[in-house]
Amino acid sequence: MIENAKVCLYPKNPGEVVRILEQEGRRALILAGGTTASQVRDPGVTTLVDITRMAPPTDALTHEDGEWFLGCNLRIQQLAAHAGLKQVFCGMLCDAALSVGSRPIRNAVTLGGNAVSVFRWSDPPVALLAMDASFDLVGPERERTLTADRFYSRHPRRILKPAEILKRIRVGVPSGRHGGAFFKFARTAFDLAVVDVAVCLWFDSDICSRARVAIGATRNVPWLSTRAARMLVGKRLEGKSIRAAARAAREETKTADDIRTGREYREQMVEVIVRRTIERAGDNALGV
Amino acid sequence: MDIHVNINGQAVAWRANPGENLLDVLRREGFASVKRGCNQGDCGACTILVDGTAQRACLLLAGQAEGRSLVTVEALGTPAEPHVLQQAVVEHGAVQCGFCTPGMLLSAKALLDENPSPTYADVCAALDGNLCRCTGYKKIIEAVLDASGRLRK
Ligand SMILES: Cc1cc2nc3c(=O)[nH]c(=O)nc-3n(C[C@H](O)[C@H](O)[C@H](O)COP(=O)(O)OP(=O)(O)OC[C@H]3O[C@@H](n4cnc5c(N)ncnc54)[C@H](O)[C@@H]3O)c2cc1C
Repeated sequence: MIENAKVCLYPKNPGEVVRILEQEGRRALILAGGTTASQVRDPGVTTLVDITRMAPPTDALTHEDGEWFLGCNLRIQQLAAHAGLKQVFCGMLCDAALSVGSRPIRNAVTLGGNAVSVFRWSDPPVALLAMDASFDLVGPERERTLTADRFYSRHPRRILKPAEILKRIRVGVPSGRHGGAFFKFARTAFDLAVVDVAVCLWFDSDICSRARVAIGATRNVPWLSTRAARMLVGKRLEGKSIRAAARAAREETKTADDIRTGREYREQMVEVIVRRTIERAGDNALGV
Repeated sequence: MDIHVNINGQAVAWRANPGENLLDVLRREGFASVKRGCNQGDCGACTILVDGTAQRACLLLAGQAEGRSLVTVEALGTPAEPHVLQQAVVEHGAVQCGFCTPGMLLSAKALLDENPSPTYADVCAALDGNLCRCTGYKKIIEAVLDASGRLRK
């Protein structure tokens, strides 16, 4: 219950959203899927801004010139089930989307809401970071695009400027030999992640030419293990290099105890899950 | 603020605070089949259909319902003429306390509307956000599969 809400507005395009946010400042609360926003208890909020009525393509998933355009209002279930997206990086973003909560949750949660109001255990952002996605923002002054590295360099709420919103996310279609995989390790099918790993690998014949190893559920935002990537690049993907990368990821992990598990166990699981996810991405790429 | 919705096929306007939870509004307006369980999206007792998709009423604010089409179990069938899903649930003994049943039925309806020939695994996936703490899931899943067969005939 947002007890002091007086009005709910339904802007028709990102420009209108920005104008409302500029005018209302902290009195405004964005509602996308509403799954987090509906739990807010802020007596200062008087204006609700339902951004899901914005015209297409904010809720569309399109493909053009080697790039996928994912509108901020796409529901996570649409991503999970999208046949075209299942071909991109071996469907790792679909797998990450499918691991979000249960079906009714995925029917409601939007890509934008999930990406911006990221929690430590959020799944799709880990895949987006590994895939090197681009984030298109609209604000009062101008539009700008951020790399995933920048968008998740700290919490996106601190990256977005006042009255700025995420309009869409872009994912490039890789050329050449490549592979991807996403792995969520949780205690039960419906639980939040203990560790999330997403890996993208690019190859020059059978030598790994580029690697992105993203890890989630260990810090407040997903992060890239650059040390793990270094252990893979320039080498054939084989047991030794994969084990070295997994160890490096574990050494680079900074995490803490929480109600799901202890720090030490989570660190161990980072090593295990990174190893398995690299193997899976490699198999996908090399067609094993 | 007036919230205009189509509920179970009827256009209505509800006077509500736009920041009120839709679950509270529905129950106040007499749709008592929509149960309050965990109030945070985990249990599925408040599942309703929003524009044909299963969603949690406890995670929606009244303002978000404006212009939407909502379905609750009140629209499925009557005691005299139950919906095939309701009939199957009764026949399979898939109800004990009944608290989770309305949410289960609506998740199942959304599944069958989208996929008339679900597999056992499809039913499990569609119901995995609806918790039952007394009947267990086996009979519920069997009832949904049975209903899907009857609906196809
Ligand atoms: C029971 C349950 C289980 C869940 N399990 C998982 C899980 O396993 N994995 C997972 O990843 N997620 C999970 N989630 C979802 C996650 O916790 C968030 O609730 C969800 O990602 C928020 O998305 P939303 O579209 O509902 O955003 P909202 O709740 O509508 O928005 C929250 C805030 O995000 C910001 N925002 C939203 N859209 C934009 C935009 N386009 N531009 C700028 N700012 C914006 C605004 O500040 C807004 O107030 C779960 C949620 C629930 C309730």
